[in-house]
Amino acid sequence: MINEEFASLLAAAQGGSEAAFSRLWRDVNPALLRYLRVIAPGAEEDLAAETWVQVVRGLRSFRGDEQAWRAWLFTTARRRAIDLARHRSRRPEAPLDDVAVAQLPRTEDSAEVALEHLSTAAAIALVSGLPRLQAEVILLRVVAGLDTESVARLLTRSPGAVRVAAHRGLRRLAQLTADTGVTL
Amino acid sequence: MTGTDVPNGDMPNIPHSPLQDGSAVTDADLVALLAGKLDVTPGLQPVADVLAALRAEPSLGELAGEARALAEFRRRAGMPVPRRHARRSTAGLTSRLSAKAAAGAAAATLVLGGAATAAFANMLPAPIQRLAHDVLGAPDAPSAAQPVPARGKPTAPGRLASHGTHKSNVKPHSTSRHPNRHGHGQPGTSQGQQGNGEGQQGTGQGQQGKGQSGAAHPGQPGAGQPGQPGAGQGRQGNGLGNPHAMRQYGDPHFLWQLGDPHALATPIAHHAWPARYRPAMDT
Repeated sequence: MINEEFASLLAAAQGGSEAAFSRLWRDVNPALLRYLRVIAPGAEEDLAAETWVQVVRGLRSFRGDEQAWRAWLFTTARRRAIDLARHRSRRPEAPLDDVAVAQLPRTEDSAEVALEHLSTAAAIALVSGLPRLQAEVILLRVVAGLDTESVARLLTRSPGAVRVAAHRGLRRLAQLTADTGVTL
Repeated sequence: MTGTDVPNGDMPNIPHSPLQDGSAVTDADLVALLAGKLDVTPGLQPVADVLAALRAEPSLGELAGEARALAEFRRRAGMPVPRRHARRSTAGLTSRLSAKAAAGAAAATLVLGGAATAAFANMLPAPIQRLAHDVLGAPDAPSAAQPVPARGKPTAPGRLASHGTHKSNVKPHSTSRHPNRHGHGQPGTSQGQQGNGEGQQGTGQGQQGKGQSGAAHPGQPGAGQPGQPGAGQGRQGNGLGNPHAMRQYGDPHFLWQLGDPHALATPIAHHAWPARYRPAMDT
């Protein structure tokens, strides 16, 4: 999170400053990739690039604080991921290598992946073993840094449903790590 | 044997998790986890580690797409796309508005010109014709009490309409009210006829169209006195070749005549009347 400098950086980027835009990009893009790695595994790089293209197009007209900025970015990325999923659903002849990790058999497999890597990738693999809504909520709350209301708007759910999903996801994550003895 | 009559060796060896019942994790602990606090209960420490790994510093691979994003930013930010579009749209709007304004102006010109033409041709309905008469000076609409004069009938120079068939409800001016500096006979009679009867005005126009005036033809039938009755008519536009009429523009009597409400209508209205609408004159 950039916090205090965000307003000046955004204004500079809107004025054409590459350095300011680079700072904004560096701050958000890793979180964006981690989020996309869970909801659209295998296509995170392309989806992130398309998201930034769309963000650059609308950068001059954007108004809001850092929370709104991140919500805009992740909303755009999520819509791109949904479009990609629809496109893939119309073309079921995709090779097996492109099948999403989230669509593969999980639970013990995700834990095994986490055990092998012991890194951020392992943590992402663990979260990918959660149900979709729980995984998205945890990533948006923890990785994207959005509050409950922003996540609720992004997922078109109620804030209460988001809180419940977050708690259930954390409980399930705790149970999963306890069962498999995962240590990062 | 187990309680379900299954040999112990056949049962899966599932270790008991301390979090299986869920009682060890409270909502406060979960809120603390989401807030990024690491000092949580020992049972949630692995979860805290997972969340910390999710928040870890970016790797080089996660920053590899910066050049691509910057190129897109440079391409978009370097071009004044919104301004150019705005300029185009403004120019297009201006041209469209100009075309519409020109079309509207042309249409208005045609309508007004046609209306004015019809008004001066006395082709409009009577109420509109009267309005045009008041506003534009077009010929007045004929009324029931004032029948439309016969068209295109030339009149003899020097003739006075007051002697024709056209009735005039005019009170002739008295001689004493219209003194003639030149001492011509009975100017009051002819002036009174000129100023009030439209048929008389038409007669005067007919004379003017021929470049003649009553004054230029003394001795022709008039109000009774040769040269005198036509003097008023001759003053109003037949100056060509008529030294007498030219002289009358500087005549204080002529100026006085302009101030006369009866005489005023005569010279102004005469000039605007087409020849075919001039009232016919009795011979």
